[in-house]
Amino acid sequence: MKVGFIGLGAMGRPMALHLHRAGHELAVWARRPESIGDLPARVCATPAELGACCEVVFTVITSSADVEGVALGKDGLSDGMAPGSVLVDCSTIAPDAARRIAEKLAAKGIHLLDAPVSGGEQGAIDATLAIMAGGDTAVLERVRSLLECLGQRIVHIGPNGAGQVAKACNQMIMVAAIQATAEAMRLASASGVDRALVKAALAGGSAGSRVLEVMGERMVKSNYAAGIEARLHHKDFGLALEAARRVGVPTPLAAVVGQQLNTLMAQGWERDDTASLLRVLELE
Amino acid sequence: MKIGFIGLGIMGRPMALNLIKGGHTVTVWARRAESMQPLLDAGAIGAASPADAARGNDLVVSMVADAPDVAEVMRGVASAAQPGLVAVDMSTIAPAAARKIGEELAEAGVDFIDAPVSGGEVGAIAGTLSIMAGGTAAAFARAKPAFECMGKNIVHVGASGAGQVTKAANQIVTGMGVLAVAEAFAFAAKNGVDRSKVREALLGGFAYSKILENHGQRMLDRNFKPGFKSWMHEKDLNIVMQTAHELGLCLPGSAATAQMFNAMVGSGMGEEDSIAVLKLLERLSGQE
Repeated sequence: MKVGFIGLGAMGRPMALHLHRAGHELAVWARRPESIGDLPARVCATPAELGACCEVVFTVITSSADVEGVALGKDGLSDGMAPGSVLVDCSTIAPDAARRIAEKLAAKGIHLLDAPVSGGEQGAIDATLAIMAGGDTAVLERVRSLLECLGQRIVHIGPNGAGQVAKACNQMIMVAAIQATAEAMRLASASGVDRALVKAALAGGSAGSRVLEVMGERMVKSNYAAGIEARLHHKDFGLALEAARRVGVPTPLAAVVGQQLNTLMAQGWERDDTASLLRVLELE
Repeated sequence: MKIGFIGLGIMGRPMALNLIKGGHTVTVWARRAESMQPLLDAGAIGAASPADAARGNDLVVSMVADAPDVAEVMRGVASAAQPGLVAVDMSTIAPAAARKIGEELAEAGVDFIDAPVSGGEVGAIAGTLSIMAGGTAAAFARAKPAFECMGKNIVHVGASGAGQVTKAANQIVTGMGVLAVAEAFAFAAKNGVDRSKVREALLGGFAYSKILENHGQRMLDRNFKPGFKSWMHEKDLNIVMQTAHELGLCLPGSAATAQMFNAMVGSGMGEEDSIAVLKLLERLSGQE
């Protein structure tokens, strides 16, 4: 299939390579052309040009505004993509923004699948991402074989926006678990108990989790190199809290965790790992 | 002075009336024509658009719901700008939004002041609002005679956006203040203690506040009529939380309070006064 790809960062590059390796014909556009490097792909001058030569386009970029700009802006994808083609947006953006973009694309006969992913850079490299999709069933089925190049768990959550709602839920649980792990590690150290042993003991019991395993290990070693840059979790938490207030759902724990993330940002640790939430506790 | 006034809701209507009473020539515009009638009856001139409300005037004031509304009416104002016009927005919006609107008006040669108010409908009618202004000293001086018709405690806080920063700070204090009084009352009642006596005792000490005195009395009377609607307090606290997110600010108390107002809106209490947070606490603690 002719597949377009925009967003060749830590997540996007390995994802694009998987599509290439599976035999798909790759075209790319990048805001910074140097990020394309030696990627075996046709390089396009604008998103519109990319859209015109592809049946399916993937985007993995940072913010709602970026996705809106690339999809709907001047020389955007919607200026090039043919009716019936599919935009698969793997970025994490606001559910409302995904619905808005879907509506505008639909007016031109272009389909949107919001398909945010979880699993981080390692999941992208190993092609083991969890993919949560929002959009029409028929559209998902058309691109399912492509998604299967990227991840093993592909769940159709519901209509457009539903994938982003699922991602917001994912981030709420994950970052709250990082905060819980940080508090436990802080309690252990402050009580004169070895963090590493506490973590080892907990891993076998009911408190065992992937976050305890991965983030807990970083905390034990005071290794705060990212991993996942905390600024991205901070951004996602803003989206999740806004989505909750839009529907009038109280999320008291997420609200508090959001403040810990704000503190982390204020300390200038935005490019470090979110395990830095432990360092926030150590400030007090 | 010749003043245009845009937005004639619960707050805007009495504010515009006080400008007329103060002897100013007032031109009014509102989205819904029927909102304009009481002002026309009081001697105001009707305008056909926000631009029309600005044209030929010394000052134009807006009092509308949210930042997009302010941006829209101020675009109209900019299109009718003449040298020396001062535009004043008295709505509550995000500081960043106010600064941006100020910059856009500056390009059209219009001086802008953000001047949100505190004091509610009662203060608007009585002309006793607190007015917190951001903008240049020269523009503030030109708007001051109009402010004096609408308010009592009028403070020029600083540059563009400073008024909205002050209002956000006001909403932090009032939001947590209302929640604090409601929690104290729920605490007293669950302990079987008469909360009206608790209020009376606390009024003499360091817990004294206007909120304990006025809002506390309305809680005792179970008078949840707005006043200040809880959905608006939620909106204002969201401005606080958004700004904290953007700046990297830790505001745990505001975050918890915003969640309570969020829950009120979600459970259908948005149109009630923000003191109805007492009812939410009572429900959560099985005190209904």
